[in-house]
Amino acid sequence: MSVAPTGHLNLEESPSRGSRSVDCFEKLEQIGEGTYGQVYMAREIKTGEIVALKKIRMDNEREGFPITAIREIKILKKLKHENVIKLKEIVTSQGPERDEQVKPGSTDGNKYKGSIYMVFEYMDHDLTGLADRPGMRFSIPQIKCYMRQLLTGLHYCHVNQVLHRDIKGSNLLIDNEGNLKLADFGLARSFSNDQNGNLTNRVITLWYRPPELLLGTTKYGPAVDMWSVGCIFAELLHGKPILTGKNEPEQLNKIFELCGAPDEVNWPGVSKIPWYNNFKPTRPMKRRVREVFKHFDRYALELLERMLTLDPSQRIAAKDALDAEYFWNDPLPCDPKSLPKYESSHEFQTKKKRQQQRQNEELAKRQKLQHPQPHVRLPPIQHTGQAHPQVRSGPNQPMHNSQSQHPVVAGPSHHYGKPRGPSVPNRYPPSGNSVGGYNNPSRGGYSGSQYPPHGRGPPYATGAMPGTGPRATGNAYVVGAPNYPQGGAPYGGSGGGRGTNMMGGNRNSQYGWQQ
Amino acid sequence: MASNFWTSSHCKQLMDQEEVDVVPALDRERGLTLEEFKLIKMHMANNIWKLAQHAKLRQRVVATAVTYMRRVYTRKSMTEYDPRLVAPTCLYLASKAEESTVQARLLVFYIKKIYTDEKYRYEIKDILEMEMKILEALDYYLVVYHPYRSLSQLLQDAGMKDLTHLSWGLVNDTYKMDLILIYPPYMIALACIHIASVLKEKDSTAWFEELHVDMNVVKNISMEILDFYDSQNLITDERMTNASLNKLALK
Repeated sequence: MSVAPTGHLNLEESPSRGSRSVDCFEKLEQIGEGTYGQVYMAREIKTGEIVALKKIRMDNEREGFPITAIREIKILKKLKHENVIKLKEIVTSQGPERDEQVKPGSTDGNKYKGSIYMVFEYMDHDLTGLADRPGMRFSIPQIKCYMRQLLTGLHYCHVNQVLHRDIKGSNLLIDNEGNLKLADFGLARSFSNDQNGNLTNRVITLWYRPPELLLGTTKYGPAVDMWSVGCIFAELLHGKPILTGKNEPEQLNKIFELCGAPDEVNWPGVSKIPWYNNFKPTRPMKRRVREVFKHFDRYALELLERMLTLDPSQRIAAKDALDAEYFWNDPLPCDPKSLPKYESSHEFQTKKKRQQQRQNEELAKRQKLQHPQPHVRLPPIQHTGQAHPQVRSGPNQPMHNSQSQHPVVAGPSHHYGKPRGPSVPNRYPPSGNSVGGYNNPSRGGYSGSQYPPHGRGPPYATGAMPGTGPRATGNAYVVGAPNYPQGGAPYGGSGGGRGTNMMGGNRNSQYGWQQ
Repeated sequence: MASNFWTSSHCKQLMDQEEVDVVPALDRERGLTLEEFKLIKMHMANNIWKLAQHAKLRQRVVATAVTYMRRVYTRKSMTEYDPRLVAPTCLYLASKAEESTVQARLLVFYIKKIYTDEKYRYEIKDILEMEMKILEALDYYLVVYHPYRSLSQLLQDAGMKDLTHLSWGLVNDTYKMDLILIYPPYMIALACIHIASVLKEKDSTAWFEELHVDMNVVKNISMEILDFYDSQNLITDERMTNASLNKLALK
């Protein structure tokens, strides 16, 4: 091995140990824009494997390797679970890349001009992007399936003493096997069980942020993630985000309007939380969860009530949520593999288009402030016993079984050059994503993967289960465009899109506030 | 940070003493002996500790930084990776990894305060460049386990909390050796308890027997620690370190 002159990197030789070069990959398409860099879909040249490359931007770093990236790498190197995104490796580029414009003005102390990429397994969608597809409507077994995977992954994190601290739809990635994985651990932290550590309360995207953080607590634990899960759960069933504050006081107020005002009775100790006196409601407020979501089924409501519990110490833990009746009553969660395959929902294209989109978002946001628009994301059918004149192929059905009769209204929101695998004709019967196994309520521990056999049976139009099936069937739906911008920037993209105002600039200021 | 040492990268990366005691080829070519190699590492561990004192960093950060530094030198030569730069950079990186961030410019400021010797005076950009190289050398594995947590638990279990101070100091000193690269942290903690109990004439035999650990390993570690204390009297002279470093013809 040769030695570089003092003060220079030895760039001639590839490291004998450690990182490969990013040149091992061929970038195909930018699929996201994160806070600390772009995300690309790429192909490993040697194997042809499709991966996601998340670039760690170095040029603006006065403090070297970003601590957010250090946190994420530390945690991802530790977590190995089917519901947690897998960090395959880290690759580097030596110096500016071909497709990169060197900014002449970057005069920071850091002269290391190379880049670092985190290599992840490629995932086709994120939950928000998927839910916001025009005409998309999840079935109840599908929602249960996603929720169960979310809780399983989160339980694993919590057992390993990791708080995710940014659970939201765009950070839940979904592949075409129906697998859901937690991603973007850029805000994640390890915690100790005694909860004595002082942690920052400025985490979690505003709409999904629990009341204790909004009230300024710095001692918290896994319950913060469970609040976010509750918000997502309700959002999936309700068809739109449920607590959409524009700023912190408004967010808190929305929470109180839904969950009632906190007091020493329903939340012992709340009056000692730093900002309680600043924010405590001036008028009495009743808990209205059951009223607002009365269209949810009984077990869903029961579980939601326990997730959206104000007092974090009484909020349900991931482990207990997995044991909830909801997951063990009909319709049972479906097998991920039985879920439909959708065309990729990374709606990211060119920079130009992105800017255009941002402008539109701004516009939409401004308009929304003045004229709240009706939401058009479609909630699943909640009630049983509805008439289903047209059960065979609603637009929520995957494109592969509805192509001929019901072309999917909006085109794919991604552009990979060649669409991959959209035409898997009739691999699953039309009922593939819905009911089944109604007579097989086999229960086990939550970890037992006892999926009911289903999806291979007759389509539900055969009349086998019109009585029980409707809650999961596709009805005739109105199709429209999503009414709010999507933040579909998985692998850590939280720039732009939903809740942009939520983190403020906190996420980028890596020092000082984060403990 | 993690809950389970046994599934950690730290556990998988444990090495044999013989593997750790290899002078990198480049350094060997320049005449560096194993003793000098070890001496420099010890000296740099001291430097990290000193710098951390100024920057008011926790012991845990120091321990992690020293572990990084020692790991780097199982893979890289001192000729290419100047220990006088690697040491503060490891502290810088460890401060991030252990959530006790210190700014690079502050470290540089303290370095200039502590050292008059030009050869120790590196700038911010040097540290940031070296940080990348160290991250690569470590293969981005940043989680390190230390004996401190097991130490407290074990002392509690043994009902020998009065040995805390002494055994804690012993654990601190183990970072002047490569033990953390070779043995599981709880075994190092046990060895320190063993030494402390002998020094304080506390009978811990029964308690150790109940633990069902390999006492040979505990005793081996203890012997190494005691040998180190014996030898240290001979080599504390800083000039010796500098003489060794000069062989490498660095900066």
